[in-house]
Amino acid sequence: MNAARGLWFALVFLALVVLHYTLRPVLDWRASIDFLAIAVLLVAVRARPGVATVVGFTVGIISDSMTPGAFGAGALAFSVVAYAASSLKAAFFADNIALNAVFVFLGKWVGDLVFLAAEHRLGGSEFLAQALLWSPLAAAVTAVVGLAVLVLVRPVVGTPRG
Amino acid sequence: MLVACVLLSLVALVLPAPLRTSIAGGLRGTVVVPLAELQERAEVSRRAVLLYDASLRVADSVRLQASQAEVVAAENDRLRRLLGLGAALKWGFVPAEALHGRGLGDDYTMTLAVGRNEGVEPFSAVVAPEGLVGMIEAVDARSSVAIVWPHPDFRVSAMSADGTAFGIVYPHLGPGATRFLLELRGVAFRNELRPGTLIVSAGLGGVYPKGIPVGTVISELRTAEAWARNYLLRPAVRPADATTVLVVQPRRSKEGVSSAWQTAVDSALSQVVAAGDSLAKRHADSLATVERLRLDSLQALQPRVDSTGMPVKPPVAAPVRPPVGAPAKTPAGSPAKPPAGAAVKPPVAPRATP
Repeated sequence: MNAARGLWFALVFLALVVLHYTLRPVLDWRASIDFLAIAVLLVAVRARPGVATVVGFTVGIISDSMTPGAFGAGALAFSVVAYAASSLKAAFFADNIALNAVFVFLGKWVGDLVFLAAEHRLGGSEFLAQALLWSPLAAAVTAVVGLAVLVLVRPVVGTPRG
Repeated sequence: MLVACVLLSLVALVLPAPLRTSIAGGLRGTVVVPLAELQERAEVSRRAVLLYDASLRVADSVRLQASQAEVVAAENDRLRRLLGLGAALKWGFVPAEALHGRGLGDDYTMTLAVGRNEGVEPFSAVVAPEGLVGMIEAVDARSSVAIVWPHPDFRVSAMSADGTAFGIVYPHLGPGATRFLLELRGVAFRNELRPGTLIVSAGLGGVYPKGIPVGTVISELRTAEAWARNYLLRPAVRPADATTVLVVQPRRSKEGVSSAWQTAVDSALSQVVAAGDSLAKRHADSLATVERLRLDSLQALQPRVDSTGMPVKPPVAAPVRPPVGAPAKTPAGSPAKPPAGAAVKPPVAPRATP
């Protein structure tokens, strides 16, 4: 990745973070778009697993600072997802749009499951409803938006490393 | 690296709540400040968007209520004046609801919800508190139809309120909005009327009694007639606004009704005078208040206690009567007595030295 692409990549990453804290509260959907997950996955498929894990942890801890009740859960979820995505990118990030969408969907859903398990806030039917209904819905919405982002930014940030 | 991050995350999860809160607060106060502000602004924007419709509805309903209140107030005022007119007429009139149509020709006629059963007769004058509206043309048992002054057949003999100029009032058949004005025709050339002059019915012809306001002069109309003047009038009544009217019965018309409007004018004048008196009284009160405050402040500025701690008595203006036939002389060394009516300056106590 050369300097220009690195700059573009940083801008896209920053834009996704900003969107997470501006557009998401405005939309206020129950199954909302997770722009942070998209940003972490974008980094994960272009970085080594260690770097991806640190980025995921950083993004997660920043996200957790807004919800002190689950402080650490987001960091754990994003660390795991970033590491897994960085390790599995060769399998998923072929030039297949559907596979990319599935990659984002799984990344978001697994991240939510780890988050829900770590925070210990919901239990019983609420946990199941969140894990099996709202999280997949949010993951689907995030996958659609993530796919659009991937398609849009691919010309400027290049394809993931193989 | 994964292990380290996972361990750190788990440590963060199991930290005591106060410590977690303080760490999160520290992050929010430093690196996350811009993001927190962005989120706050976004949520405020969302609330504003959500509240916009509600506030719009509230504003609309308030506006609607305000407009209705104005209409109701105007209607109340009109009804009050109609009651005043009814009280001034005392007898020989029939109050009626005017039913306004919205069809062609409805500008020229007015249907009244009273008829023969209520004592309405053809060729009765229809009046409102502001003045003349028209004349009853057809009467049924329970309703009647009146022509109003824009009707092409409307005529009324009229005169200036001071009785110096006479003429006949016609509807002004001009183009556009001037169609809804009146004309005073046939005024003697020597009688020049100024704009604003009140024109009332002259009582000639037997239909309209004398003294009902018809309109006010706007301007003179230039015509080819060299022996008379014509004037454009602003009507006293807008038929569309006349929702309730009085039908003056012919026997009441014969008795004369000019005193009714004169009473109304006197009442209005008395209200104006009363308002003026009230203003003058308020002005006088305010002047008195200002003067009292000024005196109070001056009194507050006077020293109440001198430097010795002795209270100073207020000056007393004691009249001193000089001995009869002798000049008012004073012995040397003794203080001179002041003339009658003058204030006596109190003796100044020696200033105590520390």
